[in-house]
Amino acid sequence: MIAEIFTVVYAAAVFAYVSWNIKKGSFVVDPSKLVLYLFAAFLIIVGALYFMGNELESTVLAVMKIGAAGILFAGVPPMIAATIGLFRFGDEYGSNIFYVRNHIAGVIDTVSSLVMIFAGILILRIDLVAVGFFFFLFVPFTGGALANAYYYVNQRRSEK
Amino acid sequence: MSEAAFLSALADTVFFWAALVFMVAATAAGLGAIRMALKGEAVTSLMGVSAFTTVAGVSLYLISLPELFNVGFARDTAIALLVVGSVGTILFARLFRTGEKS
Repeated sequence: MIAEIFTVVYAAAVFAYVSWNIKKGSFVVDPSKLVLYLFAAFLIIVGALYFMGNELESTVLAVMKIGAAGILFAGVPPMIAATIGLFRFGDEYGSNIFYVRNHIAGVIDTVSSLVMIFAGILILRIDLVAVGFFFFLFVPFTGGALANAYYYVNQRRSEK
Repeated sequence: MSEAAFLSALADTVFFWAALVFMVAATAAGLGAIRMALKGEAVTSLMGVSAFTTVAGVSLYLISLPELFNVGFARDTAIALLVVGSVGTILFARLFRTGEKS
């Protein structure tokens, strides 16, 4: 029961923080500082659990897995925002709505690849990191190729 | 239950629910991508299929993890979807562009 309550509270905290970032339109805490804060919190939690008598290796692995869960929770609000965007922006906005949809598809791709990379690092799955990184490299090229194709298709159509 | 066992069980529970919630959110995004693929014109359909491929690939990869459902063959399908999906999208986008020119 305690684990489920912790899950709900942890998820709510991560959702609230990520949604706050999305609503603000920029980072609430600078990412370079945020990484340092999270690493400091990781060291403090692991140190405290170690001095309470836990084994170091299992403690580190468990805390890293909880961190990976945080990464997965952090991927949920952008996915929901992308879903709303995909259903919200219909054809009534004109032909240039394609670029908005392209951006939304890019958000889905980027969030998916970043979740794979960072969750893979934290649960020590190198194959997940490798595939995520490989996919992350292709994301801008995919979006660019789609926008390029649509631009020229649309231009040819308007010239006819 | 000892503290170490409790901590391990807590991490497993949190990770399981996090992956499950992420997969549900990704499925919702996949439904939006399918809608875009079915309603739009050729390039928009390609974009929708590309986004759906991504979502399906990540969900399948999560399913294949031993921490979750440990479905081994889903990993190969996920890698194929993610790699071939993105490469195929770029190739078809180039084809659309050159096809319209000719």
